[in-house]
Amino acid sequence: MNREVAWRLFASEYNDATLEAEGGGERPPSYIVTPLGARVNRVFVVGVITDVENVGTDGQPMWRARVSDPTGTFHVYAGQYQPEAAAALSKLKPPLFGAIVGKSRIYSPQPGTTYTSIRPETVKAVDESVRDFWILEACRSLRRRLDAMAEAQKMDPPTKEGLMKVGVKEAIADGIVQAANHYGRVDLSRYTAMLAEGLRYLLPEYRESTGLGDVVPEAPATAKEERSAEPDETETQVLAVIGDLDKDGKGAAWEGILEAATAKGVSKDALEESINSLLDKGLIYEPILGRMKKI
Amino acid sequence: MKEELAPHVHDITRVLGNKVSEQEIERELSSYLNVYRVSLDTAKRSIVKKHGGNPATLAVGVSKTLRDLNPGEQSVNLLVRIVSVNEKDVTVEGGTKRILYGILGDPSATMPFTAWEPLPIPIAKGDVVRVQNAYTKEYRGQVQVNFGVRTAVGKEAADALPEFKPVGGQPYLGKPTPVRVVDLREGASNIAVTARILSVERREVEVDGAPKAVFSGVLADETGKSQFSAWKDFDLKEDEVLRIEGAYVKSWRGIPQISFDERATITRLKADLLPPAERLNVSPRMWIEDLAERGGGADVTVRGILIDLREGSGLVYRCPECRRVLRKGACRIHGEVKGEPDLRVKAVLDDGSGALTAVFDRELTEALLDKSLDACIAAAKEAMSTEIVRDELADILVAQPIEARGNVTSDDYGLMMIVDSAKILKVDVQTEAREMLEGLEGSA
Repeated sequence: MNREVAWRLFASEYNDATLEAEGGGERPPSYIVTPLGARVNRVFVVGVITDVENVGTDGQPMWRARVSDPTGTFHVYAGQYQPEAAAALSKLKPPLFGAIVGKSRIYSPQPGTTYTSIRPETVKAVDESVRDFWILEACRSLRRRLDAMAEAQKMDPPTKEGLMKVGVKEAIADGIVQAANHYGRVDLSRYTAMLAEGLRYLLPEYRESTGLGDVVPEAPATAKEERSAEPDETETQVLAVIGDLDKDGKGAAWEGILEAATAKGVSKDALEESINSLLDKGLIYEPILGRMKKI
Repeated sequence: MKEELAPHVHDITRVLGNKVSEQEIERELSSYLNVYRVSLDTAKRSIVKKHGGNPATLAVGVSKTLRDLNPGEQSVNLLVRIVSVNEKDVTVEGGTKRILYGILGDPSATMPFTAWEPLPIPIAKGDVVRVQNAYTKEYRGQVQVNFGVRTAVGKEAADALPEFKPVGGQPYLGKPTPVRVVDLREGASNIAVTARILSVERREVEVDGAPKAVFSGVLADETGKSQFSAWKDFDLKEDEVLRIEGAYVKSWRGIPQISFDERATITRLKADLLPPAERLNVSPRMWIEDLAERGGGADVTVRGILIDLREGSGLVYRCPECRRVLRKGACRIHGEVKGEPDLRVKAVLDDGSGALTAVFDRELTEALLDKSLDACIAAAKEAMSTEIVRDELADILVAQPIEARGNVTSDDYGLMMIVDSAKILKVDVQTEAREMLEGLEGSA
């Protein structure tokens, strides 16, 4: 009986997953199959833990953490059945670099809607070098799946045997075939762009100044093209608003931001778009629901 | 085939109270054995269970030689010689119990045994006994034979088995088969290997109560490395290139090792026949998924993340007799003993392709902690808990990329690496990212 391997994969690929699969044996493990065919039971994630919140009750706490990587956000939930991880999460002071080993979860409240999350086994604060190494490993892993999926898309229909013949490992080939059957023909260019984005994140020559000086020591170069790595005009305005309103250090309330932004001529739609974009870029985070804070 | 199976068919129908016809059982047994290809023991137990019987009441075991034994067999019959036997008292559930332990041998192999119940007849070193309904377990990668409540032991004539010889045996007949190191397989005998000695040292071991010198070390050819044991003084020297004819292969936890004794012929060859030692001595970097496929590897290097510390890491206490780690101050075999302190780490090393359990000994653990065993004992005393050492280790190691080198073995619980050397991995992330990005843009 071999231990389930801990996958390194980016949040964006993980959150794109809508397929749940079961393994074999007496106590079949459950897997999430991503569009690129990663069959994930256990994950190893290193990113910026941007906020930790008790979304349960005091008596029955359920700690939720958001972990950002260069492509998106993982949601991590630990409750009474993960006492060690829950205790560790509750003690963290975001933002910080954190490593999480955990089990994959997928939840579908209604047909057509799925949420992926992680149930942590181990949570630990780490330094930036561990995070950078993780990004490199996640890129390598993504590269392998991209190559294998590109091979699979040449086949009609893709088969495990066919993939193994061109040198794809059995463990990956299985997931690729399942993914191809469930997701159809996945647009690989989107994931190739994600790979490039992850790699550029590690390289100083692609690190654009955010105009915010020391506040953001490692501004994430999120975008696929260099120009959007920098906050645009509206985003800069919104950032300024959030900074001004955050008087007590608990973050700026949504109502206040809306009011101030409207006064500056930013529409509600444009504001929501900017906030989402700033969240994605890791320039702001949501310490508690409805409050925004600069990182 | 059918005649051989007849006693087992009777055995099954008897256990099932003759509810099912022998023809039916014979058909099922044949299907299990020939179609599904499970072992006879498993087949019998499965059939009995399927018909609602109790497999523990099966009486006819399967005759095997020691070499054929696997861990977890429920009922085996053996014809063996007692190579050694000792008594000891163990604490079992509050009471004291006297058990026998020692070594069994037959022409195929030798193996440790334990008799958990008093035997109907006294047994002594050199006796040949027929054992029925013994069972096997695995401990530290080695199969062990156990005699339990259902086991019957009877003496046989001394000449029922050839005299036991601890090393060696019959001289080999015929020409030795040339084998490359990478192709060494357990059980092979009378082979010829051409290799360079990378290291050799003399050790004293006790064989049959008498001290004996064994010369062991590592040898290599272009295809790989192997540990070796020479049971005769061939005056082996580091770095010389030899042709060894008449060697045999034993396995230690899945890793084949080459052995040779007075039956072997050693020819010294020109030193430039094989690449120099530095080239042969490299430890290949491997992915864990490939190690899992091969069932382990000797002296390999793995890069990964330590993602979890296993129970029993940190400051532990060992049984002075058998070196097992004590649980709640007691040894599984020797009961309550005064434990000897030791440091070790058992951690899960995961490289994204697979995972293995990496075991670090005291020396490596002290280096990782930058703290001696004595300092750890003092810290644990002050904190009144050994957990403090484990916590400190977790703090240093968990989520840390490391490179570890050692032997990887495999058993029912997966892969295990006994780490020889380890270092925290420092990777030039930028250079590697730049290379990958260039490759990506080049292909786009």
